Amino acid sequence: MPEIFINGQAIEARDDQTVMAVAREHGHFIPYFCWHPQLSVVGNCRMCLVEVEGRGLDIACNMPVAKGMKVFTNSEEVQAHRKAMLQFITLNHPVDCGICDKAGECTLQDYHYQYSGQRSLSHDQKVRSTKFYNLSNRILLDNERCILCLRCTRFTHEVSKSMALGVERRGDTSNIRPVEDRPLSEDPYSDNIIDICPVGALLSRQFLHKSRVWFLQPTPSVCPGCARGCTVQLWHRKPEWKLKALDQRQNESIARVTPLDNPAVNGPWICNKGRDLAQVFERVRADEPMLKGRPVTVPAALDEARRLIGAARHAVALVSNWGSNEELETFKDKLGEVFHCFVKEDWQPQPGERLEDDLLIRADKNPNTTRARELFGHAEPGFKDGTDLVLVWGEGFDFARLPSRARIIFLNSYLQPENGHADVFLPVSIQTERHGHYTNFQGTVSAFEPCFEPKPGVLHAEDLIRALAAPARGHP
Amino acid sequence: MPGRQLIMSFPVTATSHALSEYRERGGYGALAKTLGQLKPQDVVKEVTASGLQGRGGAAFAVGRKWQVVQYDDGQPHYLIANADEGEPGTFKDRWILENNPHVLLESMLIASYALNVRNCFVYIRGEFDLPYRRLAGAVEEAYAAGLFGRNILGSGFSCDIVVYRGAGAYVAGEASGLLSSLEGKKGYPRNRPPRLTVKGLYQRPTVVNNVESLSNIAWIISNGAEAFKAVGTPKSPGTRLFSVSGHINRPGVYEVELGYPWMKFLDEDCGGVPHGRAIKCVVPGGVSSKVLTGADISNLKLSHEDLWDAGSTLGSGGMIVIAEGTCMVALLQVLMRFYHHESCGQCTPCRHGTGWLHRIVDRIVAGDGRSDDIERLYYISKFNDGTTICGLGDAAGYACSGILDKFRDEFEYCIEHKRSKFGGNLECLRSS
Repeated sequence: MPEIFINGQAIEARDDQTVMAVAREHGHFIPYFCWHPQLSVVGNCRMCLVEVEGRGLDIACNMPVAKGMKVFTNSEEVQAHRKAMLQFITLNHPVDCGICDKAGECTLQDYHYQYSGQRSLSHDQKVRSTKFYNLSNRILLDNERCILCLRCTRFTHEVSKSMALGVERRGDTSNIRPVEDRPLSEDPYSDNIIDICPVGALLSRQFLHKSRVWFLQPTPSVCPGCARGCTVQLWHRKPEWKLKALDQRQNESIARVTPLDNPAVNGPWICNKGRDLAQVFERVRADEPMLKGRPVTVPAALDEARRLIGAARHAVALVSNWGSNEELETFKDKLGEVFHCFVKEDWQPQPGERLEDDLLIRADKNPNTTRARELFGHAEPGFKDGTDLVLVWGEGFDFARLPSRARIIFLNSYLQPENGHADVFLPVSIQTERHGHYTNFQGTVSAFEPCFEPKPGVLHAEDLIRALAAPARGHP
Repeated sequence: MPGRQLIMSFPVTATSHALSEYRERGGYGALAKTLGQLKPQDVVKEVTASGLQGRGGAAFAVGRKWQVVQYDDGQPHYLIANADEGEPGTFKDRWILENNPHVLLESMLIASYALNVRNCFVYIRGEFDLPYRRLAGAVEEAYAAGLFGRNILGSGFSCDIVVYRGAGAYVAGEASGLLSSLEGKKGYPRNRPPRLTVKGLYQRPTVVNNVESLSNIAWIISNGAEAFKAVGTPKSPGTRLFSVSGHINRPGVYEVELGYPWMKFLDEDCGGVPHGRAIKCVVPGGVSSKVLTGADISNLKLSHEDLWDAGSTLGSGGMIVIAEGTCMVALLQVLMRFYHHESCGQCTPCRHGTGWLHRIVDRIVAGDGRSDDIERLYYISKFNDGTTICGLGDAAGYACSGILDKFRDEFEYCIEHKRSKFGGNLECLRSS
């Protein structure tokens, strides 16, 4: 346990630590571009230069601790060098923050204001390079903004292992380029390089020029794409920046999805499917209860459902494994005696989708199978003779498999043909409209929060289950 | 002859590079002595005692580098001869590779024996054609004579050699960049720590030595460390090959005993400057060392200590003589173009700094100089010094600030009058 001194503070460090790690642990911030906690050290941005007494300047990210070393992270010498490094980095950078998607969360922008604030000392033309280079169907590359920190190439080599990116040419004409025979579009984790890019060089085509990031706020959520249950942030418009004209659908839509760093589950990464959650949640919604396809009021639909439940002799429930822990527990508690329950797999793997790998992606494409199985067992759905009522909760079950004489109560969120075939159809809210928790395949429980208000007529499944279990007439 | 000769000690003929003639000169005697009589530790001790300094540029003691490698730490070790001779003005290793390749091979075998190396490499500059053919021929001869491969000379010692041709990057001559290139990656230099003698090629302990440094080993083993120390000065033992070019009557490669008077060497051995012109300045050891003016060198001896005292270094031995009447602004432009072109682009200060230096000097030469340009050149040089992964950024800064320190007036003249004081001349003219 060598004792080292950072800015005069004595710190007990571990032998295998670098000065960067020790400084971060003890609240001494050292600026950096290329360093990343999950990637190997390349030490090429030279922004983390610190001064060591008797040894001069060196980079903190590659400096092993040594007993008694005295490190200064903010001496005059260090400040002068930081300023100079920012001069070098911005020498050929276009400084087009006004039209850059990264503006507002750009490390270079932040450091410039914090450590330099100086105008460029150069009078010469900048080195021009490629704009909007097509890296894949998801990602664009702006080589002029690139500061060659090599986080993206290291990510594809060390984390996603697709080896899709490399550096072409040398000197100030170096460019990040895809490797010829390894397309980035086949890397299911490719979009992480957009997050880890410290500047606006890597751009999401889906988010390109959609919104300034300061109009958005993140809501913590859980990706329902597979049993991993990665924690994510759903970015949507801040209430004070809601659009009053133009396309008001933007107020109710997910602008982008980013990972929420969670060492217990996904670390700082998510897969591309998780980035596309809007495609799942923003399908056309069902917002009216129906009896045999005829729109009715919520109380009328509930009355009819309760009547069917009361009249049934043998009732079966197909429980959604997209239900939250709270909903599943309420169902077990309130209706577990009334129905014979099976767990239903709402989503199956899509054609062309990666089934499973050893980074994040799991074969089970549903978020809460673990908790659902704990409560309702492992049996596959089956219908005994004499089944006269089936409650189907959630999408993805072929109604042709239901017993022909059974009446159907259907709880679903999206506008689908089955809705009209059910005897009672009740629209329920989706994940982005309610609180809850999912239990992932490892047993880790993660919480999700609502971003939007559900439409009138759409109920939370938990309230609906309570209402169905209520013996008397009443409004939920 | 500028002093005693250790490497260039024979007349060069059409066949003097062949194994048979090398044997006639006593070649591979040191190898037989090593394998027959010496323990590996003895070899390391002998080389350490000789005080041999690296000939690639940094003049780091070869023995100290070797001592870091633990003989039996259970890992494979690698030895690499750095023949990627790319420093402008330097072509001394080329002489060894062309005319005496077996002295390199013999020395590498001795070093491999000392360092427990099973596979050694020669990383040779891609543009070297004849040197490559001569070296490849020598390797073939050596294999045929049983000097490489399994059980060399019946000693039980085995060693193989690979000659690898570079692809033309200056920065691959930097030891760690060389290793990256040898591993098949882009020739990016690596951060230290770890040192290459701890984690080098394929993350194993690796010794990278310059061709000339290695070529001295055979002589040291044959004649002993004491005999080697008797050559040269106490602080700079041995000889050095200097490749002399520029404004000089007899350019070429010369072996000089260290401690030899500099002006005597230039005037008598190299025939002086054409047309009897005075020496304006000399680049002592490759353009990455700071230039010295004619007045600076008049009383200097060619030894490390003298050059260090004068604020420069013997570097790689690439001596460029520059006569009076040469435009230093145009000269700096050539140098900056080189560094800009050769920067690998890995780390920030050098990637952008070298290009920035180049553009400023270009502008001054074109007559668009600004009053703050000199200050800016110093600024870039200063913040490239010690902030980069390898020495290329530092070297560009040294070259620039070295010339600015001595010839600032020419730059000021060029900026003020929008034309060069010496007409942008780089030739050695008969009359001014």
